[in-house]
Amino acid sequence: MAEAAIQTAPRTDIDPREFDGPAFQKNPFDLYKRLRDHHPVYHDRFHNRWILSRYWDIDTAFQDNGSFDRAQYRPGGPYKFGTNHVFGPNILEYGNSNEHRRLRNIVAGQFVGQKLDDFIPMIHQICEEVVDRLKGSDTFELVTQFSSQVPIRVISNMLGLPREDEDTFVGWYHALIAGLGFGGEHLARGVAARNEMWAYLDPIIDARTGKDGEDLLSRICNAELAGSRMTKEEVKGFVALLLAAGGDTTDKAISNMWYHLMYTRPDQLDAVIADPDLWQNVFTEMMRYDAVVHTQLRYTTREVVMHDQVIPERAGVILYLGSGNRDERVFRNPDTFDIQRDDLHMGRENRSGRYKDGKPGHLGFGIGQHFCMGYAMARQESQIACMKLLQLYGRPAPRDATHPGITSPNIDSGGFRSPSELWLRKA
Amino acid sequence: MAKVRIDLDTCIRAGECYYNHPELFRMNDNGEPTLLARELDTPELIRHAREAAVVCPASAIIVEE
Ligand code: HEM
Ligand code: SF4
Repeated sequence: MAEAAIQTAPRTDIDPREFDGPAFQKNPFDLYKRLRDHHPVYHDRFHNRWILSRYWDIDTAFQDNGSFDRAQYRPGGPYKFGTNHVFGPNILEYGNSNEHRRLRNIVAGQFVGQKLDDFIPMIHQICEEVVDRLKGSDTFELVTQFSSQVPIRVISNMLGLPREDEDTFVGWYHALIAGLGFGGEHLARGVAARNEMWAYLDPIIDARTGKDGEDLLSRICNAELAGSRMTKEEVKGFVALLLAAGGDTTDKAISNMWYHLMYTRPDQLDAVIADPDLWQNVFTEMMRYDAVVHTQLRYTTREVVMHDQVIPERAGVILYLGSGNRDERVFRNPDTFDIQRDDLHMGRENRSGRYKDGKPGHLGFGIGQHFCMGYAMARQESQIACMKLLQLYGRPAPRDATHPGITSPNIDSGGFRSPSELWLRKA
Repeated sequence: MAKVRIDLDTCIRAGECYYNHPELFRMNDNGEPTLLARELDTPELIRHAREAAVVCPASAIIVEE
């Protein structure tokens, strides 16, 4: 789209404290637009970081591994893996190193293609069980009674943990996730839950190592790539990561999909009921319009020049995926939620962010070296969960005429965006 | 000598080849993979080609030994 055709926001200076306020947590989009229109490379001196907000600039940073790295460690300084992370040592701490490639490739294959297909019947079953418990009620609260129940039970089953332990596992999950978002007392409880979970997993990992079980935990313990396996610590770190990166995100994706069909575009629910294939579009447009994850952080490994601005070496750079997804330079009427839009690649994402249909994809899974490993699983699971709820519960309607809206605990901490409650009733 | 080629008609631009094996594959501006070498004259290059052929979700990488 031609730059001239864009309606720009009034030029205003940005006060970096705006990023810390509750207004931004609720509605970051106005500030995103001011950034895109007038400060495409914004130096936030108050938080000591730089911000990129336009679609193609974010794409560039994701693709340019020579200049932007995700590593949390300082190349020169001491860094002990796992020390500042609730998950312990895990793949998120690695930058663009060979070590990252090694770890990723050992596990990445488990979440796509045939390996994923093997788990689909189980996903159907879990969703049916969870809806079964709601079927009799005229009203229910989606977040606690549905969305937050499905992904964690799916992961527990994928790992091949005994079904009678599932509820305990769900408990650890909630404590761990709370520990990520809030710090303080929650962090302590999160770490305690992680330690309990690790103690629980320890003998199970031992028992499965060296045996060719078909469950995910066995596969991870034994997956070998070019003679290399994960260490026991890496396996445990990965399981913890799976709960947050794979559980909490998908959980919130499901809530967001329903939120938009209940409050943002209730007029599009009929189309979805008539053609369940459209759940795929609901997922994709949700990931564009108000993605679960709005922020990724990178560090420059050398001086970078963008829009005539010089970002120095070793600078922290925030990539606002949530803003790139609303970039009017890329999407028409970006602030309209529309599952029928024809300027967005609606099908499965891929790692390069380039599609044969020539359309741009959403940025909600990242792109490139660290592109979400669970992209296919998240999509399948969200679609199946939404479809099952509709089929087995029947058409829902919002219980309340108005809703406080989607928010995030703290976007800049990586806090995931979703409604905290969503009450539904039988329509 | 072993050779490698990519069938761009079946390739879905998933990018697994160039993100995992930059030693042999690069991405062009359209997201298509390009080859840095066609003739695989070192054991290292052969390994990269074989591994990429395995991870390619579209089976678009063909190694001719
Ligand atoms: C809708 C749900 C999900 C969203 C919004 C999401 C989002 C993301 C994003 C934005 C990244 C990029 C991180 C970066 O660029 O540094 C990422 C990476 C990752 N995701 Fe997801 N994700 C979701 C579901 C899942 C699932 C189900 C899994 C389980 C397998 C998963 C596992 C991972 C892992 C392991 C990484 C790190 C990959 C790497 O560093 O190479 N995610 N995710
Ligand atoms: S891995 Fe296969 S599908 Fe993906 S870009 Fe390479 S050749 Fe194409």
